[in-house]
Amino acid sequence: MEWITVLNYPVYLAIFICIYGCLAIGLNIQWGYAGLFNAGVAGFFAIGAYASAILTSPWAEGRLGGFDLPFPVGLVGAMLLAGLLAWPIGKICLRFRSDYLAIVTIGVAEGIRLVARSEEWLTNSARGISAIPRPFGDLPYAKAQLVYLGITALILLVAYVLVQRQAVSPWGRMMRAIRDNESAAQAMGKDVPYRRLEAFILGSALMGLAGALYVHLARTITPDAIDPMLITFLVWIMVILGGAGNNRGVLLGAIIVWVIWSTSEIVTDQLPSEYALKAKYGRMFLIGLLLQLVLRFRPEGILPEKLRKESREERPMGEQASATQATGNIIN
Amino acid sequence: MKTKHLGLASLLLGASALATPALADVNIGLLNGITGGAAAMAPEITKSLQFAVDQINEQGGVLQGEKLVGIMADDGCSPQVAADAATKLVNVSQVIGVVGPLCSGALMAAVNSATIPAGVILISQAATSPEITTLKDNDLVFRTIPSDEYQGQALARTLLDRGTKKVAVSFINNDYGKGIAEAFKKEYEAKGGEIAGYEAHEENKSSYRADLAGLAQGGADTLVLLDYGDTSGLTVLREAIENGFFEKFVGAEGMKTSAPVKAIGADNLTTFMASAPVSTKSEALDIFNKAFAEAGGDINASYVGPSYDAVFLLALAIEKAGGDKSKLSESLRAVSNGEGEPILPGEWKKAKELITAGKAIDYKGASGELNFDANGDVPGSYALFKVAGDDWAVETEMK
Repeated sequence: MEWITVLNYPVYLAIFICIYGCLAIGLNIQWGYAGLFNAGVAGFFAIGAYASAILTSPWAEGRLGGFDLPFPVGLVGAMLLAGLLAWPIGKICLRFRSDYLAIVTIGVAEGIRLVARSEEWLTNSARGISAIPRPFGDLPYAKAQLVYLGITALILLVAYVLVQRQAVSPWGRMMRAIRDNESAAQAMGKDVPYRRLEAFILGSALMGLAGALYVHLARTITPDAIDPMLITFLVWIMVILGGAGNNRGVLLGAIIVWVIWSTSEIVTDQLPSEYALKAKYGRMFLIGLLLQLVLRFRPEGILPEKLRKESREERPMGEQASATQATGNIIN
Repeated sequence: MKTKHLGLASLLLGASALATPALADVNIGLLNGITGGAAAMAPEITKSLQFAVDQINEQGGVLQGEKLVGIMADDGCSPQVAADAATKLVNVSQVIGVVGPLCSGALMAAVNSATIPAGVILISQAATSPEITTLKDNDLVFRTIPSDEYQGQALARTLLDRGTKKVAVSFINNDYGKGIAEAFKKEYEAKGGEIAGYEAHEENKSSYRADLAGLAQGGADTLVLLDYGDTSGLTVLREAIENGFFEKFVGAEGMKTSAPVKAIGADNLTTFMASAPVSTKSEALDIFNKAFAEAGGDINASYVGPSYDAVFLLALAIEKAGGDKSKLSESLRAVSNGEGEPILPGEWKKAKELITAGKAIDYKGASGELNFDANGDVPGSYALFKVAGDDWAVETEMK
């Protein structure tokens, strides 16, 4: 066997980590920076996936499109549509706080799933859309996968750098201020509802991008692919485990959770068949257990958020003034 | 931190070390819906798959006496899980062919992202979506279960033959209901029937009166109900009878369960009929049923026959191709095309000898003749059933 075929599985694993990385960074903007409990990640993933599928697939009878447009158009379209739809949703839902917001967003995601299931003219309902192109998908198996990994890794890197720059800028500090003390931020003259909406739209656009990246990998999308168990909850675990508020943390979370989820099957396959069958359910248990352990022993995640939060007593007297200034900067 | 990374690294190393196949084994992947929507069917399907593998190994294994090893993987009835599992089977376990998965959406993702690019043959025993027929698959995707399309078409022709020229169609909104309804509508209209009302309904609603009233306005006296008799199909049927929306009812195999008969009563169901695939009474089926029951399997469970046939056919193809992956599709067609010495379930030794001697063979499976068409599909045989007492009885064969 050629060395390149041995790499196929790790490459596939890495592509999925990049896709989940995109989702995790999107959720990190919403939860990590702005404190918005979005439990409808799967909904925005679905919007992105279907948008890109409709834009880039060849024409088919009985449903909208396909418009046979190039891959980058699909990606941009997916981000735009996810962001655009997040606007009215956010406008209505973001008036709710924490757990109420979670309930509303679950409802919205479920609504989107039902639309994808039922609206034949739009999504071809239960049968879904197939024959979606993958860039350089005509290359041999191993090469096509490597190229696609390159594309997803590049996109993830760009998303990471942009979001990271935004997070360390005054905008990032302002978001944290809104998250940690809304009234104080409002008193400083910040337009809280507007900023929360901004974070919601930005995060949702990244989730849409992840959906588009997935759809070009699988080359087919059916409503079962937007299962909240595999999208929403796995991504939440990645963010909590890795460290909400830290982009590197959530990426580490994506790596750990997906590697455990996927490779654990190889280990359980070695068991005798009567145990191997039961062990498949063990994977879900393992992920749940991991979440419990992290929440119990390290609630801030593996790589916690870095904050400039030195207490005043520890500082020499001369720095008092600048410290006060720094506190002011946080709410800039 | 450090220990965590070390632990992870050793887990990965351990996994890759364990996954290296032992020499002189022929690996095939068994993608089975162990978790997820089809989980209830998985235990018996697993028994059937394992039964086929064991039987082949007891009778001398494949090729030069190598052991056939079935590697069980979970399709989760979900596209992501199935594609991930298929990638592992193809690359880590280096399987020569795959049997499964159970769900159509899972199959589409698995073949597109792993088995077709890798040139690995796949035979599904339960995915019935008509989408699979039109898949661009380089002749690598086969099924031992007929597509829903055939049943829809057969039902349409049978109704027209019996003189029903105008019907309303109500179907459950999933790939099963929709696939069969579309095929029915197309064939029915093409052959001169009139569809007066064609509506999907959602699963598990508490009432369908509004849907039924809308359909009844078309003026048809027969309702074609494509749904599951244990859940929403029962509710639709009961409400349609109670309110007199329609006089006659026709269902497909999803409706042919004991629930409507028990809940509504045979007296009220004299005008209700349902079509279902029938394993044509054959010697092959009897042999399989007897052997599988002796091995502790349930012969009435869903998809056990097609599962056994899929493994047996894949093994025959491997034998015929001499283990050459690129010749498997061609060989699969060759071992089951209606020509040659008939091979029945369990006759592995005989088949192996004939292949070695260079003679043509024709596998006759538990689930039918299994002669694949150009798309890798098999035709099905169906019958129309009516309620008789507490059970179902064949009314007529369907063509």
